[in-house]
Parts: sequence; structure tokens; C-alpha cells
Amino acid sequence: MPIIPPNGRTMPKRFLGLLLVLPALAVIAFLFILPLIMSAVGAFQVEGTFGWGNFTKTFDLYTKDIIFTVMIVSLSTVLIGIASIAIGGYLTLGEHPVAVAILRWLYRWPMFIPFIVVGQILRTFLSKNGMMNNTFINLGLLTPLDAVSFLDWRGIVIAFVWKQTPFVALLVAGAMASINRDTIEAARNLGASRLRLLLEIVVPQVAMTLTVGLILSFVTMMSVLSVPLMINAQSPTMLTADIAFRVNSYGDYGVANALGLISLVLAASVAWIYLRASLKERA
Amino acid sequence: MERDGFLELRGVASRYGATQVLTDIDLSIAKGEFVALLGSSGCGKTTLLRLLAGFISPSAGEVKVRHRDVTYLPPDKRGMALVFQSYALWPHMTVAQNIGYGLKLKGISRTEIAARVAAMQSLLGLDGLEARKPQALSGGQRQRVALGRALAIDPEILLLDEPLSNLDARIRLTVRHELRALQKRLGITAIHVTHDREEAMVMADRIVILNAGRIAQQGTPEDVYNRPASAFVAAFMGAENVLFLNGAPQGDQFAIAAGPANAACSLPLLGRPLAAGSVEARFRPEAARLFPADDIAAIGPGITFRGEVAAVSYPGGHWRHVIKLGDHEIMADADRAFEPGARVAVFVPAEALFLFSSPEAASASPTSRAPSGKVHA
Repeated sequence: MPIIPPNGRTMPKRFLGLLLVLPALAVIAFLFILPLIMSAVGAFQVEGTFGWGNFTKTFDLYTKDIIFTVMIVSLSTVLIGIASIAIGGYLTLGEHPVAVAILRWLYRWPMFIPFIVVGQILRTFLSKNGMMNNTFINLGLLTPLDAVSFLDWRGIVIAFVWKQTPFVALLVAGAMASINRDTIEAARNLGASRLRLLLEIVVPQVAMTLTVGLILSFVTMMSVLSVPLMINAQSPTMLTADIAFRVNSYGDYGVANALGLISLVLAASVAWIYLRASLKERA
Repeated sequence: MERDGFLELRGVASRYGATQVLTDIDLSIAKGEFVALLGSSGCGKTTLLRLLAGFISPSAGEVKVRHRDVTYLPPDKRGMALVFQSYALWPHMTVAQNIGYGLKLKGISRTEIAARVAAMQSLLGLDGLEARKPQALSGGQRQRVALGRALAIDPEILLLDEPLSNLDARIRLTVRHELRALQKRLGITAIHVTHDREEAMVMADRIVILNAGRIAQQGTPEDVYNRPASAFVAAFMGAENVLFLNGAPQGDQFAIAAGPANAACSLPLLGRPLAAGSVEARFRPEAARLFPADDIAAIGPGITFRGEVAAVSYPGGHWRHVIKLGDHEIMADADRAFEPGARVAVFVPAEALFLFSSPEAASASPTSRAPSGKVHA
């Protein structure tokens, strides 16, 4: 007699279900999890034996770059947060319908432009003889001698903020649009100013969405190679450029893997903050 | 009570795009009065409340508080606090923070805020809940927090936008009385928007009935209940039975011609401006009295219809009958049940029969046309 489980289904049916998800599972296992584990293991391998060699070398050569990366991505995240709150806030609380409509139409555009193109645009815009400085000089705000290139850490931050703000603003504006309008009017009724409405009533209600958007942006920015290569091809630079350099110039997969693992730890630490916050919210 | 001077609306109108939402609203509210704005959904009552609160500006007219024009003042400069239908509590703030937020905005010191929030909590029976978030409160508690938040800033006028409609039916009944008692105790002027007739009757000093953006009638609960000014008000206040009769004024009486279901009779005019011709007669099921058809019902002035019981049910307290009068059906209550098919006489006392001249109804209703043909023949 076949064993019938309590839910009344027979065993072969269960295997059929498993069989159906198997292709998807296999893709994830072989194309995603396995390479990740191999890279992680590779980070601890120096010429066939396990050890900390790659990490010693990484920290000797790239400590500055790790700090540089963390600083740039963190600063960009903060600026993206401020900009997207400002955009979302204006879309939600703005009282000038034409201005709101124009902003709504305009702010999403950078989302559809690839990072490499952003890098290229900003390279011509921010360089010493770029469009920005030329405009300032023509307007008499700057003398040609005082013109400086922004193609360093500032250029990367500008590129990241320019590219990622629309994405976070899209999420934040959506969340703001779906909060109960009465909660805003209740505060207005009691005399809250526009800024207080935004910071004390609206933003706290979309805090979770904002956090998710910023974490996704953080992780995206950690993995962008084209922008540091286009804008800041000097030292210190970002970890992605270092990884590419180790692999392409030296074939040094050990150090590249170690750098990758450090990036992963940095990204994971941010995700951990998010997980903690969301658990706290649910408790 | 001083009738004019406290809160006054003069010729207020409001339009939303091309739609006229409110037309020509004149209203004068005394200090300490509890006024219910009553109407079906879409009649403009919430628009009127939001206009009073300052969230929208009228397209015409003015709003005055103590003879001061507040028509274009921002919401917080009017001395009014609004309690929202959805309560609109801030989910990220505790009960104490919700109640104290208005005080915080006024720049009051922390210790005083704490003291006033505590006083408000004990007034509303929210002791011990100060650290809770709104999600952890019951519907009734949320409603009281919303009320506490509005009352904490000590407003002169309390605006209530269907504050009881999200409560369980049983809690609603007690909250009605609590809210009314609190309003009396604080001596605060309250304007309460509702679509619930009974709620308005029980709570308000004065009822303002809105229909299609206009005031259909205003008066005490007894007034609007017993002396409806129009067929709309009568229907809205529960006089759902409608029949079309023919008649003409004769001195201080109104003579009604015999119809398919009624004999000719005469009713006191009571100063009603009725013209000769077709009239719309409305009455409540509970105002009618039922007798077996062969009983001659002559108890005071009134009108007797003869018909047949079509159905009977027991909603509680009395038996409700659906009675066929010619090709019309009406409802009438009685203490005992009449069998379906039984011939009955329905007596409606004169004071419970609301008559309105209806020149346009004459052509619309077949029952009123038939007797008019007979009368003139």
C-alpha cells in the first residue's frame, strides 16, 4: 500500500513539484551560488594552499581604496537620500500643479541612461575645460585660471547621485503618494509648516521604503566599474576598478577575489542594518 | 444663545472643476452649539466641513468667526480642530506624541505638554496607553486619540467628519453619548458631519440637512422630524411611504378627493402652502395604524387608505407589513400581525401625513392621474 501523507497527496506528486522547480534551482546553484563560493574560497588560496596571503596583500595595497570607496558610496547615499526626499516631498506636498507636473516628468530621465554614458557625459561636463567651467567663465563667475577639474572623487559622487536619485525618488514618491492624505491634513490643521510636514509626518511614514531604496542604491554603486574608470582613473580609486585591474593586468584572481569578498561584506553589512530595522518594525 | 456672531457662513459656494458642489450656504452657529450636517453621500457636507477647516477655499461667500473674516486664513489660524473619518493618526508616533503634537507645534514646554497630554488621556479614558502606537489600539481607542489630538490644542470649534462611522454598531451608540456629554462639559462648539439620521437626531442641538449642495432645511431635531419643509427632507427623515393624492385648500382645511385607495376627506392645512391639484403625501411606517378592513377607523383627523397585506415581517418591537394600495405599495407597522391577503384599513393621523404640492408629479404618477380624471369628469 502506498504511504499517503496527511494532506492526502501521494508521494510521486510531491516529487513532480520538486521536478518542476529543479531547472530554476539548478540555474541558481550552478550559475550563481557555485561561482560565488568558488570566488570566496579562491580569496583564501595562495598558490594552491589556504592562507591569509591575499588579504594581507589587499590591505597593504588597497586600504586607502577601501576607505575611499566606503566614503564615496556613503556620501552619495546620503545625498541621494536628501535629494529623493526633496523630490518626493515636492511631488507630494507641492501646491503649484505645473511645477509638480514638470518635475514629475523630468526627474525620471537619468534612470534610463546607462552608467557608462553617465560617466561619459559628466567627463565632458566636469573637466577643466568642460561645459560647466566654460559656462561659469562666460557668465563671469570664474576666471579661466581658477577653473579646476571635478574629475576626481567629486565627479564620482556627482555621477552616482545624478544616476541613482531618480530610482530612489521613484520609490519614495510612490510610497509618499500612498500614505493617508488625512495624516498630512491633520498636521496642517494643527499648524505644521511644510518642512515639518515633510520631516515629521511624511518621511517617517515612508522610512522603510527610503531605507530599501538607499540600500539597493548602495549595493549598485558598490558594483559600478564604468564611472570610476571614466571619471577618476587615478589613485585612490574604487574597489571595482582595483578588481578589474588585478584581473586584467596581473591575472591575479586571488587578490581580486579578496577585494570582491570585502565588497560583499560591505554590502552585506548595509543589508544587515536593513534587516534589523525591519525586524524591529515588525516587533 | 447668541444666534449670530460666533460662526457665520454667508453665501458660501464651492465648485470642483465644472461641478458646483455647494451653492449659497447661509448658516449661523451659536457658541457652544452642536450642529449636525446631515445628508447622503455626495451632498457636499464633507466639502462644507473642509471649507470651514480651511483646506479648500470657497468660490464665493465668506466665513466669519466672531465677526472676523477667516475665509482665506490657513487651517491652523481659525481656532478649529478637525477629527477625521479615518482618524488620520500618525502611525509612527505613540498615543502621547499624537495627542501632544499640536502643542509641540505651538512651542509649549515639554513638561506642560506632558501634563496636558496626561489630562487629556484621563479625560478620554486612555490612561496607561501613552506609549502605544495606533496600530496597537482598538477602533474606539483610536477614535478617542483622534478626538484627544483635536481637543488638546483647546480649539473653539470642533469639526467632526463622520467620526463614528468606522466604529462597531454597539460602541457607536455609547460613543455618541460620550461625545455629546464631553462637548457639553467643555462648552465647545461642534459641527458634526454625518449621513446617519439617528446619530444626528440624538447628538445635535440643530440639524442642517443638505441636498445637492444646498441647505434643504435646518432646525431642531423635532422640527426637521415632524415638520419637514420638503419632500426630500421628509423622505430623508424616514417618511419613505409615498402616495400621490389630489385636493384643494378650503379655508383652513385641505380637502382630499377620493382616490383608488382612499375616500374623500379633509385635513387641517396647518399653514402649509399647498396649492390645488396633485400633492405628494409622505408618512413613516410607524405613523400608520392598521385595522381590519371592515372596522371603521375614525380616530381624529386623518386619512384612511384601504388595501391588502402583501407581506409581513418582524424586525423587532412591531410587525412590519407591506400593503398594496391599488398599484402602489407602502409599509405600515402594527402591534399584531395581519395575514398576507387580508383586507386592511391604513389610518394615517393628520399630523403624521406630510403633504407637498407636486405639479410635476401629476403627469409622472399613474395613480394620481386616474382619480383626477374621475374628479373632473
